[in-house]
Amino acid sequence: MTSQEQIDALLAELWERNRPLLEERLTVLDRAVVEVNAGALNEATRIEALDITHKLAGTLGIFGSQRGTELAREMEKILGQAEVSALAHLPGLVADLRETLKSRLSP
Amino acid sequence: MRRILIIDDEDDIREVVALALEATAGWQVLTASSGAEGIAVATAEKPDAILLDVMMPGMDGPTTFRTMRQDPMLAHIPVILLTAKVQEADQRRFTSLGVTAILFKPFDPMTLAKQISESLGWKDD
Repeated sequence: MTSQEQIDALLAELWERNRPLLEERLTVLDRAVVEVNAGALNEATRIEALDITHKLAGTLGIFGSQRGTELAREMEKILGQAEVSALAHLPGLVADLRETLKSRLSP
Repeated sequence: MRRILIIDDEDDIREVVALALEATAGWQVLTASSGAEGIAVATAEKPDAILLDVMMPGMDGPTTFRTMRQDPMLAHIPVILLTAKVQEADQRRFTSLGVTAILFKPFDPMTLAKQISESLGWKDD
């Protein structure tokens, strides 16, 4: 097995193993969206979502989703600034991320 | 054989780094999931270089780095920050710490060893 094949096999295995964790992380982002839409983003949710988007920004590209990394980076920036006008973009970005990952989240 | 220590709280990052460096460069990879564990492993194993995540719960990357620099047993070991923080202000802050280099996540597992070698001036890898 070549180095590339070994790495590809590990990435595929890790993606499958971490899919429940990814779903959990997306659920937190969904909760942040609900709170943003209600005009009351809880600070604990914001901090949790900020941590999640940072992790997603660093990992999705490794697993072949550069678009996922870009979306997560944008969300991390918005959640870090925590400005109302910027937070208005969060629901669309979370929807885009779900759409980007849709085919890879289905069993 | 080069020996690299990766300190990162993300399990999958540690696994990918370990396999990537072992498979593409033949290096031995040590792992730690926190700053405190990383310092303990570095003290015991004296790796040739350390890859250090920035954002970790508890002792973060910069704090871990400063702690190692104050330890005469560890101060000479080159440290490369591995971070998903790509904004210029963050990069300036990390550079001012005195780390050897900064590499960014997401990385390409196939070229990570080459990036590390170039950052450290390792000509024979």
